[in-house]
Amino acid sequence: MSRFNRSGVAGAAILAVAALVAVIAPLVISADELDVTRVTAAPWQSPGAEFWLGTDHTGRSVALLVAQGAGTSLFVGLTAAVLAVGIGTLVGIVSGHFGGLVAGALLRVTDFFLVLPALVLAIALSTVLPRGLGTIVLAIGLTSWPSTARMVRAQTLTIEARPFVERARALGGGHVHVIGRHVLPSVVPLVLVNATLAVATAIVAESTLAFLGLGDPTRISWGAMLHQAQLHGAVPQRAWWFLLPPGVAIVVVVLAFTLVGRALEAVVTPKR
Amino acid sequence: MLELRNLSVHYGHKRVVDDVNLTLAPGQTLGLAGESGSGKSTVAMSVLRLLPRTARVEGEILLDGEDVATMSWGRLRAVRWAGASIVFQGAMHSLNPVQRVGDQIAEPMRLHGTRGSVRELLHRVELPPEKARAYPHELSGGQKQRVMIAMALACGPRLVIADEPTTALDVVVQAQVLAVLKRLVAEQDLGLMMISHDLSVLAETCDELAVMHRGELVERGRTREVIANPRHPHTAALTAAFPVIGDPAHRWAEPGRTAEPLLEVRDLTVDYGRTRAVDAVDLTVGRGEIVALVGQSGSGKTTLARTIMGLRKPSSGRVIFDGAEVPRSGKALKAFRRQVQLVLQDPASALNPRHTVRAAVAEGLRVHDVPGDEQSQVTAAVEHAELRPASLYLDSLPHELSGGQQQRVVIAGALVLQPRLLVADEPVASLDASVRGEIVALLLRLRRELGLASLIITHDLGLAWQIADRVAVMHQGKIVEQGSVEQVLLNPSHDYTRALLRAVPQV
Repeated sequence: MSRFNRSGVAGAAILAVAALVAVIAPLVISADELDVTRVTAAPWQSPGAEFWLGTDHTGRSVALLVAQGAGTSLFVGLTAAVLAVGIGTLVGIVSGHFGGLVAGALLRVTDFFLVLPALVLAIALSTVLPRGLGTIVLAIGLTSWPSTARMVRAQTLTIEARPFVERARALGGGHVHVIGRHVLPSVVPLVLVNATLAVATAIVAESTLAFLGLGDPTRISWGAMLHQAQLHGAVPQRAWWFLLPPGVAIVVVVLAFTLVGRALEAVVTPKR
Repeated sequence: MLELRNLSVHYGHKRVVDDVNLTLAPGQTLGLAGESGSGKSTVAMSVLRLLPRTARVEGEILLDGEDVATMSWGRLRAVRWAGASIVFQGAMHSLNPVQRVGDQIAEPMRLHGTRGSVRELLHRVELPPEKARAYPHELSGGQKQRVMIAMALACGPRLVIADEPTTALDVVVQAQVLAVLKRLVAEQDLGLMMISHDLSVLAETCDELAVMHRGELVERGRTREVIANPRHPHTAALTAAFPVIGDPAHRWAEPGRTAEPLLEVRDLTVDYGRTRAVDAVDLTVGRGEIVALVGQSGSGKTTLARTIMGLRKPSSGRVIFDGAEVPRSGKALKAFRRQVQLVLQDPASALNPRHTVRAAVAEGLRVHDVPGDEQSQVTAAVEHAELRPASLYLDSLPHELSGGQQQRVVIAGALVLQPRLLVADEPVASLDASVRGEIVALLLRLRRELGLASLIITHDLGLAWQIADRVAVMHQGKIVEQGSVEQVLLNPSHDYTRALLRAVPQV
């Protein structure tokens, strides 16, 4: 318990730092330093006093790129997770509460999305839709809600089977009352935990899409950096400083979200 | 054979068992009575050192002269089940749902290398040998409990501890299970320690009785003597709490008056798929009348209640409330539900654990948008349910209250809408003996003061005797007999009613 709390606090601290960097970076870093046409430094410089993490194939500072990329990765991660968890919660509660034909139809749709390889679907979506941040959010959000829906449905079913829901019905409570007063409050903690874990998955998904070259070309993200590094031969150049920082950043932020998620889980799970 | 010397058990600073001394010889049966939290189960578990690590045990527990506390791990394993075994409480949860019961009975024999056959064990508990291949969900409650007993006997122990072996069973099945236990004790010279909150069950089975109260052993002696002449006030309270059918002192309902009908059920039939749960039932509850609907589990009485409440649709037939047919949907159904309120069996699960007493009681008011001051209405309802002063309870969460208090909150939540009929499904079955009487008295007082009619669904004929004006006996979906309490319970005309009455354990 205390171990989880300590790691949860550590995760939250990392996230706070990452969020701070994401907010401050665009304000502090001038556009010139990230513009390929205006940078003056030599490409492929190894880490040193001037450039802490070296420079990339065009001479931009890798440290500044990582800082700038934090915003995109966190933004996509959070919005896609909110979208996925939102759809999942809605579908889960509706199918769990109403049952019958509605549930049958919704569950088949859920199963459809569940069996499709999410990455392939996301790739397909982001090739068809116009390129941009919105598309990536949509592609990730639309492919990662089914597991939330299944879980929320299961929780809804267990709550609905409890006698206090029957009592609420006997009192005359309708669907809105039962969902709003009984089902939703017991589902929310679970959803919150799930959301933090979904953010981690979404960040990885965003990086994957960007790495495959399907990201927003106008924006810098950690995944896009890896894509650039791979494209311009960071490996043959032995430019580890171009590959490692964005990779480590992804791992650390995802780990932080997971730690927070698990700590929250321990907090909201009723102790018996 | 078993001797407890100055046994005390602490959890942290809390003393749950306080200086208990007990002895049990082979062939002897000892009943351990007490309410929830009296420490009776803790005593039982300590015999096989099954308490959690956090428990601190003092004193000696001698099994055949050997102290359980100082046994080596290997010795303890050998003694568990082969020396003494336990029939756990709640057979439905103690059996593994994905294993055949035969394998589960054989498990201790395999572990201990005991020879014996599952067939033989099933025969001893009066189950056919084919049942060994059944999974727990394919058995009824009574059959599962017998499987638990067979399992306890598997390694030929000399001491059997039965922890509430019949609690969730109805009277008829309970009588069968008790008969099996009694016969086994007599045949095999077993020592039996039986734990129950129900004195009548212990009186039926045990020669000796020990009563526990707040961790202490307050009384011990021959069962007959203890029940006839209780020396400790707590024992007296326990014996008084179980009504004796036919005893006018236990008949708390005032003599009934004939009233015009409030609720009429006409030729009501409910089907679950192909199963007919309720079969052409006619039932009437008059204004201010208390009617008990009795029957075994599975007789369809709960389905009937749900249908009356409009929570299930009937296949055919009519429910008439106050002269008008009960609507099946929409606003009219909602309005009907204000008049009829439900009180469920287990108050702990009937209350949302996240809602305070105030929110739980006010729920009905909010659902129906009742005008007026919510605070004063809630306070009035809570005080009507005898939780005084209301301010002390309003902000508590259900888990902070005792079982009896929780049931009062459920009743207050019903009262706040000023209903005319209360449908109560086993309202006292999960409550302790001392609380049970208080809730029964509360229901009667509400009838007296508010003219509240009740339909009480129960398998407990004693409760019917205590509280009801009329009794309807339900068997396999049909009402086989109904009439005044005296007529049905003292001069039953139907065989099934007689069978039910015979099965009631006598104190």
